Amino acid sequence: MIDSTTLSLLGDWKTFSLMLILAVFILYLARTYAHQAIKGFCRLISSVFRVAASAMDSTRKQLKERNREVLLEQGQQQVSRDLEREFFEISRFVQRDLGGYPQLQRQIQEEITHIHDDYQKSGQVPSALPEWVEAVDSVSKIKASDNANALNSKILDQIHNSAERQHRDNLEQARKDSAERHKCLKSMTGHWRKLSDSVDEVGGRLKEIITRSNNIDEHMTKFNDITQGTDSAVRALRASSITQFLIALIVVTIAIGGAYFNFHLIALPMSEMVGSTQRIGGVKVADLAALVIICLEMTAGIFLLESIRVTKLFPLIGSMDDRIRRVIMVASASVLIILASTESALAFMRDQIAGDLANLRASLAGIEADTSIEAGGLSVWIPLIANMTLGFILPLALTMIAIPLEYLLQTGRTVFGGILEVILSLLTSILRILASSLRHLARFLTSIYDFCIALPLWIEAMIIKTKRQTNTRTDNDDTLIEDRGIF
Amino acid sequence: MKRLRLFILFFSPLFLLSCSNAEDSKDYARGVYLLLDTSGTYTEELNQAKQVINYILATLEPGDTFAVARIDSGSFSEKDIVAKVVLDPRPSHSNRQKREFATTVNSFVKSVKSSDYTDISGGLLQGIEYLNEAKVGNKTIMIYSDLKEELPKGFVRDFDLELDGFTIKALNVTKLRADNQNPQIYLDRVGNWQKKISLGGGVWEVINDLDKPEAILL
Repeated sequence: MIDSTTLSLLGDWKTFSLMLILAVFILYLARTYAHQAIKGFCRLISSVFRVAASAMDSTRKQLKERNREVLLEQGQQQVSRDLEREFFEISRFVQRDLGGYPQLQRQIQEEITHIHDDYQKSGQVPSALPEWVEAVDSVSKIKASDNANALNSKILDQIHNSAERQHRDNLEQARKDSAERHKCLKSMTGHWRKLSDSVDEVGGRLKEIITRSNNIDEHMTKFNDITQGTDSAVRALRASSITQFLIALIVVTIAIGGAYFNFHLIALPMSEMVGSTQRIGGVKVADLAALVIICLEMTAGIFLLESIRVTKLFPLIGSMDDRIRRVIMVASASVLIILASTESALAFMRDQIAGDLANLRASLAGIEADTSIEAGGLSVWIPLIANMTLGFILPLALTMIAIPLEYLLQTGRTVFGGILEVILSLLTSILRILASSLRHLARFLTSIYDFCIALPLWIEAMIIKTKRQTNTRTDNDDTLIEDRGIF
Repeated sequence: MKRLRLFILFFSPLFLLSCSNAEDSKDYARGVYLLLDTSGTYTEELNQAKQVINYILATLEPGDTFAVARIDSGSFSEKDIVAKVVLDPRPSHSNRQKREFATTVNSFVKSVKSSDYTDISGGLLQGIEYLNEAKVGNKTIMIYSDLKEELPKGFVRDFDLELDGFTIKALNVTKLRADNQNPQIYLDRVGNWQKKISLGGGVWEVINDLDKPEAILL
């Protein structure tokens, strides 16, 4: 027995089945158009993605090219600066050291002349033959007789005595001359040493020139590579740029830490000057005033370093007339010193306020103030002096932020350009993948569509098949009849 | 003249901005009104209240407002304000004001005489008026009492409190002998005050453990 619920369900099932059949039938009828619509839609979206990918790729290429140009330009400027510095150093060296070369040459020549003179002086003059040799010869030729012998003997004795005396004199003279020569030779040693030192000095200086020339050669090679825009040069510059960026970032972060510390050093005393209740945009005016002072110090520092051409954040200042540049330098330095002194005074004030506050809190808490603090001992003076010193030194140290800041700005351009390039490349790939996926999605959706109307499609296929078979059979029969020649 | 005009043109928005925000700076100021119960034996608790006052003084900053008032038989009166101060914007002056305030409170605690009745509602209303006049951003009324209200004959305190933006902190709500016999009395008393404050749009807190000073942080 079928109850009413079952009947109604059956009624629903009937409706549902009817609706399903109707829907399948409609879907079957609309198959061609539906396929076209799915394919068209997917193709459209895919085209949009492809166009977007293409545009992004084009932008990436432009950006890459631009980054490359910027990198090469910066590298070229850097190497030019290095070369300029090397040439300047060489020029200074030539002016300073080789400029004194004529003097050195004259010195060497003088030393050589001295040595030559000493050499001349030390030369041994051969002593003249003794005069009595001829007399002896004459005596020996006298004819022999007793008187003559006695006379000869006497003469010879005298000659012997004279010879002995002369020999002694000659020996003494020779010794004296020899001592003189040795003296001359001894004095030559000093000149030799001087000469040797001078030659060594020249050698040392020439070595420095060789080192500098090698540096210039390296820079020139690098410069040529950059000018030619070789890939290796770009790679080297990019690596160098990233390293410099990271180092500059670390230094700037440290400087920000210093500025924060400096801010806390002067914020409290600033509230004593401008009050601590007024606010602008939710920030205390005293805090803003402290920030303004720190910013002013940094600005003065940047201008100071610009005016002495350490940094080139404002090329206009660097290219100014020397007199104006000197004025800017003096003005910046003065502002900096005044602000640093002010900060030192504020640090003193801060110490006083903090001490007063600590005493107040202690008295409110019912604690007796520390006697050593009351007495103004070392525990008071050391923090006070440290605060004041830091108050004076920190602003001066913060001026150096201009150098890493310049590096950060210069290298940041290429580093962020590189990151943007990678992002664009990634987006291009994603868009291409999406475009390709959409083409496959179109096929998948049409397959799903066909799956929904699988039954009518199967029936259609069967009908076509049967029709084809019938047609084939008819064709075969016709062929057979023709072959048999019935008609 | 042209330069002066440029100067005015450049700096006037900044000046206007600072002027327009000068009033806003009041929004950051805190106002505390502390009611001290001086009825019956509760005066013995005032030494502890002194520590609370000192702690609040230590945490207040320049620009903040602080007043201490007593709860007696008829507390809806300026005469019941023991000490009041608007802290100077300069820290050194503000510290001096705090010292003077602490001295005044100290001498009050030493010389206080207990009152016969406890007009908490009147004191609360006085506190609301005071803090509304002070135009502070953060308004807190602290009630250092056992919260048992006793009014003299003829005193009517049947009014609704306007407590939008107020925080009411009940400190050291001591348990009376009757509360010990029947704790429901204590619970009802606290509950009634909570209901009254909440109906007025205020925030209600009860802090009994005063050994934790961070509990009364503003």
